Amino acid sequence: MEIKTTETGDVNVIEVAGHLDTNTSPDAESAINTLIDSGAQKVLINFAALEYISSAGLRVLLATAKKLKASGGDLKICSLNDTVQEVFDISGFSSILTVSKDQEEALASF
Amino acid sequence: MIRELSRNRLIWDALILALIVVSCLLVSYQFAFSQAKALDGFQLIYLIDLFFLVDIGLNFITTYRERGVEVFDKRQCSRRYGRRMLVVDVIASVPFDLIAWVLIGNGHVLGGSLVLALRLLRLLRIVRLFVILRRWEAFSWSNPAVLRVVKYFVSILLLIHWLACFWFYSSLASGFPADSWVVRAGIQGADAISQYIRSLYWTITTMTTVGYGDITPGRTVEYVLAGIIMLMGASLYAFIIGSIASLLNSINAAKNRHWERIESVTEFLRDQEVPADLNSEVRNFYEHIWERYRGVDRNRMLDDLPPPLRLKVLLHLTEEIRQTVPLFRHASGLLRDALLTSLESRTYTPGSIIAHEGDRGKSIFFIAEGSVEIISAADNKSYGTMSNGDYFGFMSLTLDERRTASIKAVSYCEMLVLDRADFGRIKKEFPEFTDVLKRVSAERSEQLSELVMDGIIL
Repeated sequence: MEIKTTETGDVNVIEVAGHLDTNTSPDAESAINTLIDSGAQKVLINFAALEYISSAGLRVLLATAKKLKASGGDLKICSLNDTVQEVFDISGFSSILTVSKDQEEALASF
Repeated sequence: MIRELSRNRLIWDALILALIVVSCLLVSYQFAFSQAKALDGFQLIYLIDLFFLVDIGLNFITTYRERGVEVFDKRQCSRRYGRRMLVVDVIASVPFDLIAWVLIGNGHVLGGSLVLALRLLRLLRIVRLFVILRRWEAFSWSNPAVLRVVKYFVSILLLIHWLACFWFYSSLASGFPADSWVVRAGIQGADAISQYIRSLYWTITTMTTVGYGDITPGRTVEYVLAGIIMLMGASLYAFIIGSIASLLNSINAAKNRHWERIESVTEFLRDQEVPADLNSEVRNFYEHIWERYRGVDRNRMLDDLPPPLRLKVLLHLTEEIRQTVPLFRHASGLLRDALLTSLESRTYTPGSIIAHEGDRGKSIFFIAEGSVEIISAADNKSYGTMSNGDYFGFMSLTLDERRTASIKAVSYCEMLVLDRADFGRIKKEFPEFTDVLKRVSAERSEQLSELVMDGIIL
């Protein structure tokens, strides 16, 4: 798994590539937490290069959303592939997390 | 046109059925017992004739079924009736005796007996009785066993009555000779009712093989008649006993079969020294199945039906579930049909584990009725409950991960189960399926996200 963090305006964009599973989730979680702890309020996770997400990955997303919401921030997600989109839809998470088609749309929605 | 199985036709048929029995009893009674008074009174017979004449008219405009399809064409209906039943019905319904009486005159001896003989034509009405009963068999409410009882009962009643009439008539026709049974029994001068009761009594004692011997045949013709009646009685007796036995069996056939199965299973379990409470749990399960489904295996029951008919029945059977389960409420007609034909019904007893912790999901479970509890053996904790309309199993199935908790039935649970293959197929065939699931899970997304946060995958 690779994580790349960039800033576009006041939005912190996190690009996750590869597998987000039990092994890699703790790393992703700590990377995101570091970002939030450093004061990031608007976070966008771009999954364009994500190949696989496990329940552990979903947990990281939900935990992040919860944390940001508590601190008045906002988490958005974009560029899900079909499988991940389906998991989001069927589990009902697409109604909790804001999912956008691509980064542009996501940035505009903040 | 009058529909063959309509309510009004049914009421009319029931009336005609009763009139057939009454007129068959009356006509033969009158012929054998009240010769002298034959032509006075009995306006009732003519009144009944009127009903039968109306019935002929109605038969012309009553629909019929051919190869399962109801024929409404008026010409076809009347042609069919004209060819098949009209002649019999006309002979049996037109009061020829009244016509003969008017033509020949009342006082004439020959005229009197001719009129009486013509009256007997009404006995042909019995054919109509079987036609009506056959029609009733097509009613969905009609219990074939009950109809059979009616048929036996009426046939036996009429047979006994006719034989009694004939038994008396054998003496009357030869002018009551001294050795005839009527004279020997001393009822020659008695009133018609007593004569009839005696004849009936003798017929019944003879037919049921009781034969007290207080009334006996004395002349050749009586011996012959008695022999015939005895033979008929013996076979009738065997027939009745056999029929009653098979009837009693068939009335409760389904229940008997189900209980036999319960008995054999619990007997086997007892034999294998299975603990009593487990055995009674099995018994309770069967009782629940009987209460709810009359012991029918609802997944196999409809296998014989062609798919469209099967779907129709399924739609009807699941009417209530379709109202309560959100999955069906949000689905379009086509998707709903595809789901109905793919879902498998399963019943779970209280306390049983529906999905096991550690398994990889192979199916999605929809709760049609009942409530379940999410429990994790790892930390021995309950993670809440789910009930009517909720569903689970998709996380483990789509993510291909092992379940991290078990689902336990709290009450009797009726589950609709969609296996992986059908889930994939329907999802592919109906892109709206994902949207429907999305809408359904949106209603409880909070609970679902809590579960995922707690590491619970179902």
